[in-house]
Amino acid sequence: MMFRPIFFNVEVCNGCNTCVDLCPVDVLAPNLEKGKPPIVAYPDECSYDGSCWIHCPLSDKGAIKVVTPLPMRVAILRGNR
Amino acid sequence: MNSDSEVIPIETDVLVIGGGLAGCMAGIKASEYGVKVTIAEKANTLTSGCAGTGIDHTWAYIPPIHEKMGWCIEDLMEDHIQGIAHGFINKELLYLVASENYERVLDLEKFGVNFRFDDSKVPGKFRIVPQFHSVPSSFNFDGRPIKVKLTKEAERRGVNIINRVMITDLLSTDGHVSGALGVGTRDGKFYSFKSKAVVLCTGRVNRLSRIVSGVWGNHRLPVYETGDGRTMALRAGVPIINTEFFSPALFMIGNYEISFGVPRAEVQPAGSITGPNGEIIVPRTYFYDWENLGKEKWTSEVRRKWMAQRRADRPPYPEMYKQGKGPFYLDLTGGTEEEIKYAEWSVSNEGDGFRFLDYLKNQEKFDFRKDKIELLPNSREMAGTAASGLAVNKDLETELKGLFAAGDEVGGLPWQASSGAFTMGWHAGEMAAKQTREQKGFLPVGEEKLASLRELCADMLSSKEGLHWGEVELAVQNIVDYYAGDVRAEEMLKRGIERLDDIKGNISFRAENTHELVRCLEVRSVIDNAVMVMRTSLERKESREVPFKFYRADFPEQDDENWLSFLALKLEEGAFKFSKIPIK
Repeated sequence: MMFRPIFFNVEVCNGCNTCVDLCPVDVLAPNLEKGKPPIVAYPDECSYDGSCWIHCPLSDKGAIKVVTPLPMRVAILRGNR
Repeated sequence: MNSDSEVIPIETDVLVIGGGLAGCMAGIKASEYGVKVTIAEKANTLTSGCAGTGIDHTWAYIPPIHEKMGWCIEDLMEDHIQGIAHGFINKELLYLVASENYERVLDLEKFGVNFRFDDSKVPGKFRIVPQFHSVPSSFNFDGRPIKVKLTKEAERRGVNIINRVMITDLLSTDGHVSGALGVGTRDGKFYSFKSKAVVLCTGRVNRLSRIVSGVWGNHRLPVYETGDGRTMALRAGVPIINTEFFSPALFMIGNYEISFGVPRAEVQPAGSITGPNGEIIVPRTYFYDWENLGKEKWTSEVRRKWMAQRRADRPPYPEMYKQGKGPFYLDLTGGTEEEIKYAEWSVSNEGDGFRFLDYLKNQEKFDFRKDKIELLPNSREMAGTAASGLAVNKDLETELKGLFAAGDEVGGLPWQASSGAFTMGWHAGEMAAKQTREQKGFLPVGEEKLASLRELCADMLSSKEGLHWGEVELAVQNIVDYYAGDVRAEEMLKRGIERLDDIKGNISFRAENTHELVRCLEVRSVIDNAVMVMRTSLERKESREVPFKFYRADFPEQDDENWLSFLALKLEEGAFKFSKIPIK
């Protein structure tokens, strides 16, 4: 596995699995332990569309974070240069 | 899953395959005719398709605005035919899209999608921006939740949505479509549909070539769209057109910018392109002067010439990079606060844009007011890609009676985009539903296709020596990029076909579980689509300039006399047959 696209905050995520239901590329799997964050079963297949994060009922509280991997990060010219 | 997996039988009058924008619209419209409607979706209609996480624009002929400009629907048609399609377009279908999308926008409003804004100076309180045509003709709207709204509307109308089923085969009986077969992407069960009509809406083929950033999912369009509709239609004997035109997946190298909704900075206000020292390469754009609407001085013809000149003056980035010029930046730093806010709002509604904006702000601490985003030379999509797809008549029906198509599944319409999905989906849904009312019962379907699908899946799941889907996909993408990339020629294409046939004939897949099985079936679609690309590339004996970007080294000139035609490919008794469809 090369990338780590999705992080769950175990303190906040209640394991409702909305993200598992909605991920269009099917990279997530429910945790066998009820109430725990899903498993990122296929991280290298993430398409970074943000469905999981957009639809997470606890998104505002920081339950889930999607991290853009380095090769996809935008090349920025900073204004203070 | 195993070879004795359960079969779920489903009977439905209309079966819609693919629940993106087109599929949802088809299902919604079909439901008005008192027939049973089912949408079979590979992912989940709440988040799937090109607009899965939103879309912020759709082009249309907008009577309350365009009439005031003295711009008629024929003007839109001419702008699109000349400026976008270079004459290579199905004009009947273009008319359908152009003339009906305003009504579809009004329907989408009824389904809860917001198109009106209190601060707007545009009649109707719309937000309208320039995109493809010589006057502003694209709605900007709050489209992020569009798939949620469409799903709810479909459910409210009693449409049966079955998520997580990948359809692999069409069934036909005596020249009429009679159903379809699929595999549950999570439950591993087989789904056997009997239906009186089918609307195919599976979108495009987005995994034909290597994603250069090396991040598999880093595509502007959904990576799970693998041309499944085209391959099942091909196997059902339906002609597919113009598959030689496709967009290589080059436009996301380490960057996101095109999913930003500002390809070449045309759509949003204040967007300019600047060079390494801040020099202006493409001057900034402005809002249209809505306060002077109705006082336009230019005739449509003058506008069209101006538009053509603007396109001709567009910097030739790939050549400029070869000359060592660059880097180039998307630059909104000259924008006013109002313009920056507008751009951010727009981005946040466009596909992937909401998360992109969050990433820019929180992961990169990016600020449009002072920072610039580097553009990459090959970050462009070819409008010609949308010329490829199923051949349909004016009612969107294919040669197989009862089989309709809509949206990106349909060939012949460069840059029909969401406008094509909304209008064609609606129209195909209506036609399919009406047709089913004439048909009494379901046609009998044979068991052979289900048996062979069962065998195929069982082989993949039990294979010891088979290859992982990702390995096969990379090999196929390498072949497409090498033999059907920027330069194509007869001997190279023949070699490419040999190599694809070799993979198709001799490679077996290995799937550890249902998830991997579905990926294997997807790669099988990609291979079939790659064969179509290669075969039609060999057959088209000319070159065709951007937006088709089709270059045959052995036929370097564009040959309108012989080749201003759609190239149709079909399977007849196992052999490929080609024919030209003249453009009227």
